[in-house]
Amino acid sequence: MAWREKTAWITLVLMVITYGTYFTLVSGASLSTMSMLKLFGGVTILQVIAAVIATAVLAALSGDEARAKPDERDRAVARRGASIAYFVLIVGVITVGVVMPFRDSGWRLTNAALFALVIAETVRYLTVVVSYRRGWHG
Amino acid sequence: MGEGRVTNQLRTLRFLAGEMTQAELGAKIGVTRQTIAAIEQGKYSPSLEAAFRIAAILGKRLDEVFQWESGKAPPP
Repeated sequence: MAWREKTAWITLVLMVITYGTYFTLVSGASLSTMSMLKLFGGVTILQVIAAVIATAVLAALSGDEARAKPDERDRAVARRGASIAYFVLIVGVITVGVVMPFRDSGWRLTNAALFALVIAETVRYLTVVVSYRRGWHG
Repeated sequence: MGEGRVTNQLRTLRFLAGEMTQAELGAKIGVTRQTIAAIEQGKYSPSLEAAFRIAAILGKRLDEVFQWESGKAPPP
């Protein structure tokens, strides 16, 4: 498995676990602004720390492979992931920035924006791992 | 683009070139061992530049290493 596929798996799994937990907790709950901030901050910090530790352990186990620059396949796969995620993000931005303000405000808007970002990033990393697994001929 | 795919004789030619490993070939053209493996498995079509480099290192013409396999049935 390519180094960048491994790191994409780490990011994807951590993102689904941490933000999946976050959105499960906040959906339908009426938390105060401070509670919401603490929860959001805690989840983000937890995800970053877990990603750093997991990547460091993987790098130690992988040796020179982890220090190699991305090759043409890595760059092609990354471009494909970013271009597909871009369209997902645009749909999210239009929904949150143009449609939702007519009927929602406050944390609902903030969480919707965060949800759009998480979905776009999830699609990005999902595209990356699928492209490595099933092949890419772009 | 019409149906079809790029096939290659990389594994065989590597073997004939002194049993060169995927890692050795990858290092010579600037890609990872996994990318060479993906090319051999037909999971990745290399850039034209990488294809020419591979052919040059193996001492073969480009069409001896890579071929286009059309998906269409041959004409009667």
